[in-house]
Amino acid sequence: MQPLANVTPLKPAARAGAIEVKNVGQVFKTRSQDVVALEDVSLEIKPGRFVVLVGPSGCGKSTLLMMMAGLRQQTAGTITINGAPILQPDPDRVGVVFQEASLFPWLTAEDNVEFPLALRGVPKAERRAKAQDALKLVGLEGFGKRHPHELSGGMKQRVSIARGLVQDPPVLLMDEPFAALDEQTRMTMGDELLRIWAATGKTVVFVTHSLTEAVYLADEVIVMSARPGRIVDHLQVQLPRPRTYEMLSGDAFGSLRDRIWRHIRKSA
Amino acid sequence: MSARISAKTLRYLIVIGLIALWELLPRTGLIPELFLPSLSSTLMAGWTEAGEYGHALGVTLYEVVVSMAFACGGGILLGAVVGSLPRPRVLIMPMISSLYAVPLVILYPVFTVWLGIGSESKIAFASIYGFLPTMLATAAGIQTIDPQLLLAARSMGAPLGQRLVRVIIPAAIPTVLSGLRVGGALVIVGVVVSEMLISSAGIGYLISRYRTILDSPHVFAGVLLVLFLAIAFNAAIRWIERKAAIWQTGTRAGQANDEIASGTMQPAT
Repeated sequence: MQPLANVTPLKPAARAGAIEVKNVGQVFKTRSQDVVALEDVSLEIKPGRFVVLVGPSGCGKSTLLMMMAGLRQQTAGTITINGAPILQPDPDRVGVVFQEASLFPWLTAEDNVEFPLALRGVPKAERRAKAQDALKLVGLEGFGKRHPHELSGGMKQRVSIARGLVQDPPVLLMDEPFAALDEQTRMTMGDELLRIWAATGKTVVFVTHSLTEAVYLADEVIVMSARPGRIVDHLQVQLPRPRTYEMLSGDAFGSLRDRIWRHIRKSA
Repeated sequence: MSARISAKTLRYLIVIGLIALWELLPRTGLIPELFLPSLSSTLMAGWTEAGEYGHALGVTLYEVVVSMAFACGGGILLGAVVGSLPRPRVLIMPMISSLYAVPLVILYPVFTVWLGIGSESKIAFASIYGFLPTMLATAAGIQTIDPQLLLAARSMGAPLGQRLVRVIIPAAIPTVLSGLRVGGALVIVGVVVSEMLISSAGIGYLISRYRTILDSPHVFAGVLLVLFLAIAFNAAIRWIERKAAIWQTGTRAGQANDEIASGTMQPAT
């Protein structure tokens, strides 16, 4: 096992990290009526891409993400990752990062990162080594012994990302991971995430409310409409990498953001 | 360093001061010995009747331990069920909550009719008395577990058993412990009070008996014993808290607990 920081992007033969969503629908049954949350959603995500889902509140983007994570079952269609369907959470294929850092407050940072390994009975020494690598990758070397309440909001999300990556899954799903952070931290964390993504070559699916964040981070932006949730646009962001702060005020950036905003205004 | 004294030292000084006053005020005649016998005569009274007090302490301890097992065991068990399942919660919680306001001591005479004036009626009463707060705290503790934590555990592939052991139980520990603190204290109150009301043995019984013959030093010797019992219980709970719930230091609940713990918190009867 190589240390995470030096993992080379993708073994192409395995097609690790490809996501395929086919005619997926989700209907919530309530007492009075059936609410269609998602309707006939299809999309294909190539390995190693950074894909952002945006849309108005209630468009089902988080629901779609939870279904990719196997945390929720769709009522129609199929979702496959690495070519095999996702029927339940599979930490070998998918790591998940939530909006609230959702770290266990009674565990130290390193114990939190080790948690998924402990669940499957990985020996202590191996666990510790992997957790150290993951913490190093997210820039938290030396903070392993701290408890979550001793870390800032940004650091907690870094721990959370380290936990999502510690089993080296090809796909990382992120559900508004920076929504609770202040503006400056959010910007920094965006850059950090791009650095980690570049270093690991994971497929990232990222849900956000922020259009700026969406365009800044993404290779592709998928725009969804309000209930019933459908895909209304699929943009390729051709801006060069690494992304810089200056791009935010450029014309290319602005026109992409405007295009997304027009979709969202229409459906909200 | 300046002459400022830490809160801890100050607390010790206050306790020492109170002990000194206890000895001095009756001795100098400022307070009649009938109202407050001096510390030394209280200790003397306890010492000369050591056998009697020892036996009474044994009875009371036995009742406290058995009641605590019922109150805490039952409280945690039922609290866990009520906290995790919505249907029993809807059925039971309104009843329990309204019961909480009833002065349960009115039940005690009924228990003596059912179970006699021996230990059984005290255990029954003290168990119910301590059961309610333990149960309510456990239910609240489990209900208020952040669902995100459970979702996160599930996303890492934790089956229900692992979620229970690795998430639900550790997450509920601080609230359960605060329930045990109150519930356990109430168990001690329940045992001693019921012994004082209708009974034939125990520290409460001794206090009550010596009171009727106006033997203040012996009354206070009993009071002192109950005091030690409560302090010992408090120390035990704090020890468990330190062992089991290090993580809550730094949270607001943890700090509040620390503040309460540093004073001797006693609920009213």
